[in-house]
Amino acid sequence: MTADAQRRRTVVQILLLSAGLLVLTVISAGSVYLVNKARDDAKWVVHTLEVENQLNTLLLEIRRAESGARGYLLTGEDNFKADHEKAVAAIVPALDRITRLTGDNPAQRDSIEKLSAAIETRLGQFGQELEFVRQGQPDKAIALVREAAAANTTATIGTVAGSMIQEEERLFRLRTVNADRSQTFAASMTGIGSGLVVLFALISIWLVRRSARARDNAEVRLRDSNVNLEAIVDRRTADLREANDEIQRFAYIVSHDLRSPLVNIMGFTSELEELGKDIFRRIGGLAGAPVGGPPAEIADMPLDGPDKQLSADFSEALGFIKSSIARMDRLISAILNLTREGRREFQPENIETREFIEGIVASLAHQAAEAQAEIHIEPLPNIVSDRLALEQIFSNLIDNAIKYLKNGVPGTIRIRGRTKLGYAIFEISDNGRGIDPKDHQRIFDLFRRAGTQDKPGQGIGLAHVRALVRRLGGTMSVSSELNAGSTFTITLPINWNASNRNADK
Amino acid sequence: MTQPVSIIMIEDDEGHARLIERNIRRSGVNNEIISFQNGTDAMQHLFGADGSGLVQKGNALLILLDLNLPDMTGIDILKQIKENKYLKASPVVVLTTTDDSQEIKRCYELGCNVYITKPVNYESFANAIRQLGLFFSVIQVPPAAT
Repeated sequence: MTADAQRRRTVVQILLLSAGLLVLTVISAGSVYLVNKARDDAKWVVHTLEVENQLNTLLLEIRRAESGARGYLLTGEDNFKADHEKAVAAIVPALDRITRLTGDNPAQRDSIEKLSAAIETRLGQFGQELEFVRQGQPDKAIALVREAAAANTTATIGTVAGSMIQEEERLFRLRTVNADRSQTFAASMTGIGSGLVVLFALISIWLVRRSARARDNAEVRLRDSNVNLEAIVDRRTADLREANDEIQRFAYIVSHDLRSPLVNIMGFTSELEELGKDIFRRIGGLAGAPVGGPPAEIADMPLDGPDKQLSADFSEALGFIKSSIARMDRLISAILNLTREGRREFQPENIETREFIEGIVASLAHQAAEAQAEIHIEPLPNIVSDRLALEQIFSNLIDNAIKYLKNGVPGTIRIRGRTKLGYAIFEISDNGRGIDPKDHQRIFDLFRRAGTQDKPGQGIGLAHVRALVRRLGGTMSVSSELNAGSTFTITLPINWNASNRNADK
Repeated sequence: MTQPVSIIMIEDDEGHARLIERNIRRSGVNNEIISFQNGTDAMQHLFGADGSGLVQKGNALLILLDLNLPDMTGIDILKQIKENKYLKASPVVVLTTTDDSQEIKRCYELGCNVYITKPVNYESFANAIRQLGLFFSVIQVPPAAT
């Protein structure tokens, strides 16, 4: 799938999650708000009920006061009076409470005022009635009762209270409806919100599953391509190996076949040389013979003048040809040896490295003594490797160290070793003439040399050594400065492993 | 040599053949030298038209063999000579440029009597051939009959 689609899906995923979060937040806030509102509504409903309740209580108390007063008037018994007084005492706080409760409603306030006025009037009448009874004028009291009945104060109270109750009932109905609506609203909001969240969650799950499936597919493809890649690598490795073998064979055949004509060139050049000697001897003989007489028998007559020059030129030309052929032969032999080394099978064995190096050093003792060089061998790690290859590697390096010491300076050559992560690292360092850093690569190339060319050599040793080290599965490097000695470092595997190129052929 | 021994030289390089012949002559060997420049002609001569080797019956032969031939390898020729009942007693000298130790071992295993690598250095070459000539002049060669 394209990266674009991937990005788009990620964005959709994030949007979905954000939307879900937003909905959840809205639901939470809305729920809090609506619950509060419902509580308020409920409070108002309760309030209404309380007002009604209080109004009824008030009316009840008024009736009790009235009946108490009447009982007292009829019987003159004190317990009626006490009843009456208790009722009267309850009226005022009840009225007060109603006043407080209905303070928010202007219509009710008006009614309350009317009610208060009526109740006050009635309470005044009660007071007078009782006063007349106490003064022993029950007739007057009874007349007052009648008057009160005629003035219909009680009825007024009833009517006003009734209207108030009606008003409260209306409010009750209204508020109940309100509360219901709030609750319904809260419920539907929660429901719809939950539905949305569930929907988002489902979409998310679907998206996640889809990307999981895409990932699984990608994994399968990746695994396939890995397997493919390994096959490709194997194939390429085989190709490379084949190419390498081809090159080895090619080098071998070429160098071998070049040798054949070289034998002819060298052979006939030598024959020519002999012929030349014969010819110039004859010329010398002819030149030395008396005119008209037979040529001199003795061939050793000295040549003179132009003849001598001719002979010298002839010899010089042949000399160049022969030295060039000899050089070419050495080069071809070197290539042959290298390719032969490249084809040789290694025989891994345990090598007591220190003893082994001591053996090599002993074989080079003569050269070392001539160069006034001291060779120090420090303890070395033992390894499993090919003895012959190691011998060539170390004897080449130690030989080089002895060969390229500074003239007139006693040489010190040190061979050190250590191990690191399954590899043995050997260092061969000297205090010799050193190698210019720009030549560090060059010295490992075939037929290339560096520095003062005052020692015999073909430029083969290090190329050969490096090829061997590589075939043994190791690496090799040099660190050196001009006139500051050189250190050659060889890293070789401690244990022989099958992946060394021995197994190839 | 007490018997007239023929030297069969199988050498594809004319120059080499000439140099070898010259140096053998210089060592005083005057036997007949028959040279062949390819394997097919040599095989024809050695084994005859029927390939049985009967043609050489009773002849004393000394074979100088180069390994690198244009049409076949000298090793094949060596093998066939040493497997032939008439020819197997004839000494075979392998004279070639190859100095591969595997190759040398193989030749001796197949029954070659002497293996000589041609040195490029002519002095060594001439010397080697002359000594070979001296060797030819003293060895006894059996006739190719059994």
